[in-house]
Amino acid sequence: MRPSSQPADKTQGMLDVRDLRHSFGELVALDDVALTVGAGETVGLVGRNGAGKTTVMRAIMGILVPDRGSVSWDGHPVGERDRLRFGYMPEERGLYPQMRLADQVGYFARLHGLDADAAARAAHRWLEQLGLGARANEKLIALSHGNQQRVQLAVALVHDPRLLVLDEPFAGLDPEAVDTLSEVLLAQARGGTAILFSSHQLELVERVCERVVILDAGRVLAAGTLAQLRQRFPAQLRVNVDGPRTWAQHIDGARVVHEDRDGVLLVVEPGADTQAILRAAQAAGAVEHFAFESAGLIDLYRQLLAP
Amino acid sequence: MKRTPTTRLKGTPTTRLIAGREISERIGSRTLRITTMLMTLFVVAGVVLPKFLAGPEQPTSIGLVGARAQALAPALRDTAHAANVKVTLTDLAGAGAARAQVKRGSLDVALSVGARSATAEVAQSMSATMRALIALTIDDVHQQRVLREAGVARATIRAVQTPVPLATTALAPAPSHEGARAVAALAASILLYITLGMYGNAVAAGVAQEKTSRTAEVLLAAARPQQLLTGKVAGIGACGLVQLAVPVAAGLLANALVHSAQIPSTVWLLLPASLLWFALGYALYSFGFAAAGALVARQEEVQFATAPLLYPVVAGYLLVYVAIGSPHSTVVRVLSFVPPFAPSLMPARIALGGVAWWEMPLAVLITLAAIYAMIRLATRVYTGALVHSGPRLSWRAALRLPRSRSPTTG
Repeated sequence: MRPSSQPADKTQGMLDVRDLRHSFGELVALDDVALTVGAGETVGLVGRNGAGKTTVMRAIMGILVPDRGSVSWDGHPVGERDRLRFGYMPEERGLYPQMRLADQVGYFARLHGLDADAAARAAHRWLEQLGLGARANEKLIALSHGNQQRVQLAVALVHDPRLLVLDEPFAGLDPEAVDTLSEVLLAQARGGTAILFSSHQLELVERVCERVVILDAGRVLAAGTLAQLRQRFPAQLRVNVDGPRTWAQHIDGARVVHEDRDGVLLVVEPGADTQAILRAAQAAGAVEHFAFESAGLIDLYRQLLAP
Repeated sequence: MKRTPTTRLKGTPTTRLIAGREISERIGSRTLRITTMLMTLFVVAGVVLPKFLAGPEQPTSIGLVGARAQALAPALRDTAHAANVKVTLTDLAGAGAARAQVKRGSLDVALSVGARSATAEVAQSMSATMRALIALTIDDVHQQRVLREAGVARATIRAVQTPVPLATTALAPAPSHEGARAVAALAASILLYITLGMYGNAVAAGVAQEKTSRTAEVLLAAARPQQLLTGKVAGIGACGLVQLAVPVAAGLLANALVHSAQIPSTVWLLLPASLLWFALGYALYSFGFAAAGALVARQEEVQFATAPLLYPVVAGYLLVYVAIGSPHSTVVRVLSFVPPFAPSLMPARIALGGVAWWEMPLAVLITLAAIYAMIRLATRVYTGALVHSGPRLSWRAALRLPRSRSPTTG
């Protein structure tokens, strides 16, 4: 994924973070973090609390200057002009409580370089789109937590950013708002926006993201598409046999990791003979279910972070 | 420090946008309107009230008891007119009635004149001017009669009685309107003190609000700390300047309407000088206030964080009293060049008079250098502390923080 080894057009609209290191005093927050987000790509950043997700995002947004490392956009180090086309939603939401929604969203649009008219139009369009059109003249403080979060999202989106950096955008949203936000993000990605967001809601990450970066203690533990991540782990085979389960105890290249009323879950080593396993099962009784299970992100995450 | 124009896509420069938001937030607030109104009211009242409380100048009422005294009336009137003193003369028959009127207060002086002496009865005392005026009239009339009885010609008598003009030339004149100058010096420093305190705190509170509400993080994604800081300080300062200019203008207008006090000529120099020194003082202090606001963890801590900055402001204000007492002392002169005190002492000295032509430009230069140093220091503290989470920071700890965003690179 090195831009130097790729055609120039691949770096267009691509975020390239390399070799990011940062310490807060004794605490190493980031240790050689690298990740890329291409144009139109949605990348999920997951990891425990304190893994370094927010620090990575702050470094990308220039709010924090890392001890080492580079953040590039379109193949060059990110500058102010680039950042004006970035949209950011910080983990701890913050807007002016006494400012009216339209003024507020418009103000941030203007800070990002839109002229007054364009800013006002964009502010109204986004408030409308996020279901707050009727409340455009209300003060932020009059809104519920969830609605304030929508305004925060409008602020991140109002200047039509080419990169969206969203820190826990789904936290605290009701299912309806989660759907709205997912749709908005997918639409943005279709429009060519590069999106990096962090979340603890892994099923959402799985649904929205094409790629995942798993951080742990400031290091990238794993990165790639879900399919790529799965390949790092032995496949899991679920078998349900109408008969005693002792058949599964001694099979070469497979071991039982889980048992329940739906049968047994076997971890199969690469290169193991699955037909031999099927034959062993058939010998024990009628095979009602025999299928590889595709591990969800949550399973992979647990396996990766298992102590 | 300056943003190159190419970094902007289009639209308004960032610092001006930030300043504009501060201004519209304040203009929309009731606090600004009410405090401006109150300050204007105080200043206008200060100008108008003394005039009404003092009332018009009352003439001295003199009761002339008996024919001899009453014969003095034309001469008394002439002398009073020449001396520019207002008197009303009443003829009274008896000394008892006159005395009663003096005791009641309806008469200031009861004057009775005998053959060889005269008596002026007053309630408590009589002004030296009034006493001299009456004595002079009685003497004149007495001399006139004696000379006429001795056969001296009228022309000679008139020549004798025509006073020889005495011209007075002051070689070391006291400054004119000394009282008015002191009032002007005090008024300028009080207004400066109030506005500095008020607007310094507004800057600190604004920064603290952006920090504690985490708006700072969204802002920092779009603007440099230097721009955030400068925009906020400039926007709030513009409001302060207006809030200072409105009461001053209203006070001058009120004064022109009621002719309360003659405005000393130094005031016309003092006005622009005060506004300049307000701007300089505000610039010097407000960046410090902004940095103080960035130190807090909670909005309620703002007043603790800003306290160290208020000490020099108060000291500068108190020093104005010293300056009024001894405007030419070395201490006052030297301190009026020291940046924390110059903004209050220099306009006070200008009001009091006796500032050499080079002193103000020199003090301005020194203060500008101090402002530059303050901006550097404040930006450093602000930049580090703004996105720092955790308990309130000390100034020293804030200076040691890594910078969140360097002011030179993007």
